[in-house]
Amino acid sequence: MSDNNKKKSIYGTSFKESLRKMFGLAPKKELSLFEEEQMQSPFRTIVNNFLSKRLAIVGMVIFAFIFLFCFVGSRIFPLDKNYQDATQQNIRPASNFMKVPKDMQGNALQVDAGSTFGAGIDKQGNLYTWGTLTEKLKRTPAGIGKVVQVDCGLDHILVLAENNRIYTWGYDRLNLDKIPEEAQEADIVQIGAGHQVSAALDSSGNIYVWGNENIVDIDPKPYQGTIDKFTFNTTTIIAITKDRQVVSMAKKDTPFNRIPEEVQGRAVDLASTDRVAMALTDDGHIHMWGTYLYGENNIPEGVQGNVKQITAGRSHFTVLLNDGTVRSWGQNNNRQSNAPKLSNIVSVHSNYFQNYAIDSNGKVHTWGLKGYLMGTDQYGRDVFLRLLTGGRITLTIGAVSVIISGILGILIGGFAGYYGGKVDMILMRVAEIVGGLPFLPLAMILSYLIGNKIPETARIFMIMVILGVLSWPGIARLVRAQMLSAREQEFVTAAKALGIKEGKIIFRHILPNVITVALVSLTLSFATSMLTESSLSFLGFGVTEPSPTWGNMLTASISTTVLRDYWWRWVFPALFLSIATICINVVGDALRDAVDPKASDGR
Amino acid sequence: MMLEGSRETMDPEIYDQMYNDMRKQLGLDRSIPYQYISWMGNVLQGNFGFSSVYKQPVKEVIKAPMKNTVIMNIVSLVFVFAITIPLGIATAVRKGSTFDSATQVLTIIGYSLPGFIIAILFIFVFAVKLRLFPISGVSSPGASYTGIKYLLDRAYYLVLPVTAMVFSSLAGIVRYVRATMVETLTMDYIRTARAKGLREKVVIYSHAFRNALIPFMTILISWFLSIFSGSVVFENIFLYPGMGRVMINSLMQQDFMVVLAMQLFYIILSLAGYLLMDLAYVLVDPRVKLA
Repeated sequence: MSDNNKKKSIYGTSFKESLRKMFGLAPKKELSLFEEEQMQSPFRTIVNNFLSKRLAIVGMVIFAFIFLFCFVGSRIFPLDKNYQDATQQNIRPASNFMKVPKDMQGNALQVDAGSTFGAGIDKQGNLYTWGTLTEKLKRTPAGIGKVVQVDCGLDHILVLAENNRIYTWGYDRLNLDKIPEEAQEADIVQIGAGHQVSAALDSSGNIYVWGNENIVDIDPKPYQGTIDKFTFNTTTIIAITKDRQVVSMAKKDTPFNRIPEEVQGRAVDLASTDRVAMALTDDGHIHMWGTYLYGENNIPEGVQGNVKQITAGRSHFTVLLNDGTVRSWGQNNNRQSNAPKLSNIVSVHSNYFQNYAIDSNGKVHTWGLKGYLMGTDQYGRDVFLRLLTGGRITLTIGAVSVIISGILGILIGGFAGYYGGKVDMILMRVAEIVGGLPFLPLAMILSYLIGNKIPETARIFMIMVILGVLSWPGIARLVRAQMLSAREQEFVTAAKALGIKEGKIIFRHILPNVITVALVSLTLSFATSMLTESSLSFLGFGVTEPSPTWGNMLTASISTTVLRDYWWRWVFPALFLSIATICINVVGDALRDAVDPKASDGR
Repeated sequence: MMLEGSRETMDPEIYDQMYNDMRKQLGLDRSIPYQYISWMGNVLQGNFGFSSVYKQPVKEVIKAPMKNTVIMNIVSLVFVFAITIPLGIATAVRKGSTFDSATQVLTIIGYSLPGFIIAILFIFVFAVKLRLFPISGVSSPGASYTGIKYLLDRAYYLVLPVTAMVFSSLAGIVRYVRATMVETLTMDYIRTARAKGLREKVVIYSHAFRNALIPFMTILISWFLSIFSGSVVFENIFLYPGMGRVMINSLMQQDFMVVLAMQLFYIILSLAGYLLMDLAYVLVDPRVKLA
């Protein structure tokens, strides 16, 4: 380079350049004879060739995006792979679970949340519903008139109208639509809807329960005529009697029956998650009993003694304090425990994973589960989270198995090509045997025989090894062919004449010359590896549930029901898998053309 | 017959006695190499063992599925031949045209998509949305057609699996055929043929195509071998009672005699394929001689 600079200084500033400077134009770099004739390094040529292909660049960018999406995304949104939720099955992609209608804002009286929807009434007694509603839930009965109370169950809505009649719609099997006649005639003060079951309480303390008795199996008879207030959970009904006693109506012995002594005679409000019940006593203290799974007993500071109203979702609690602020705690997988800083709240209403707080102006504040970006699957698992982690596993398996097959292929091909003769003969026959084995059936057999004896996480490593060990012959053949031609070249003879060790000649002198071709071929087999892994997992012989991969997320789509009704369960994994492999192939193709322009098919 | 619960209800001594008798009868008390060699011996005599799930000789178990699989694969072979070669040649001849570029883009997408996604898409579009073809199966349930009607019924059920199979293998082969043809068309003898004033058709089909046949043979036969094992996926999606499904079911139910026989079949098939490839070279190129 210093030589070039000297040459330049001899010519000095040319006339053209001084002209350009006069008009204030950017100086154009004049190339000297030597610079024009300067050769590019082969690596530079490859990079330039590659960069000139726009499609390949686009492919690389998209792939990089998918890669980051899966690897960074799965760290930001970690997946609890064993988490399931029966109330959140097969929900279509949406973000409207808590989209309270505008007409109701500033005028709200009461709100309640169902599994994926909400219902509320304003101060004029108008009823509103929102969220992801099933066809049956959309059919609000005509002629309800003004509404006094509303309550949502898993997928039905219960409404108490001003004329003291109860209406219900939504899920209507298991006698859920058969409201008892006595209830319709009684003076109802509270209604409640739970998991496929409904209940109503009249002013004389009688409770009427109808719906699926197998889920909430209760016996209200001992307490009839004394009940003041009740609450549902998935197991039982818990109630406060008129003399402030807390009772559980379960027929069987449940954890909810062990009611703490200190609440008896003082209870004013009740709330219950699936596993924990909570009672509010008249001194503003809360007391809990049941089974703690998600830190329900970690009551935040400043809550005890200041509680005004309590409410609960599936596994979290929300309380309203005397100063008009709210606190939430418990399970937080859908951010249902991240209560915002609110003031002047008059009532809180939580259910499932949603929270609603109504302030003194009738405005509704919400936090919790808005919906699922990509819906949920048959076990109520978030498809988006599984897609992230599944992508990470699929990409990792593809990459590691390619690395294994690359190392094996380069080693075996290198030795075979360099030594030739008998070594070549034996190694290449082995390669032919391995390459001739039918891939998918053998991988299935191996995966079944080995995989049944090891834990599920070890299966992931097993799949990597199986794919790597079965797919090296292609790369070995390629490296061998390159090696055969390279070993006849003069630099090898020179190296031999210098007395360099053979191993060093192979790996330090020849290999760098053949490695680019091998690397390009490895790029393409990365895509193939991913596809094979997906096919294996799809058939149930690769990575198995609950660990997700893009392949096994598609297993369920063999069923026509899934194909027709739950499109989000197969479209997203299929799309991501396809786009990722298309991108890898486009990039690999362009790389191959860049490395060996002659081999490109003339494009 | 001993049942799963027999161990609890039976006298332990009698149970052990029966258990050991059974092991002896099945030859499980011998060493693994001995078992393997005796299995090989039996195979050579045409005895593939006894399926523990179907309670039938393995030969009987895999007879019908093998027929189904062979039918499906042969039909798709015919279609792939009929589509890929003309298409590959056409794109090679019109290299650089819009038609060629479009095919190039489509084929790169085609060979990147896994077979089962293509199959799912086909089912979704043609069976679920348009309701043109049955979703799965091999013939109309309950119908007992004969003659031409039977064949038509079978063909009707084959349309979707075969289309999906052809589609998923089309792209790779078209690209390969095109690349080979492009290379052949740059050869000197092609220029000579053109210079002689031969018609373009003759140049392409009898000069270029003849010379490109060897690579064609290689790719087509190795593809044919790969679809035999690849049809496992398609048979599973279309619930087609072929070898792939039998293989999966046997694996799941630990019916290893059937699995062994299947694996043997796949390997024999691939060996035969390679032999066929060598013979085909001699057939298409008189310059190649079997040593």
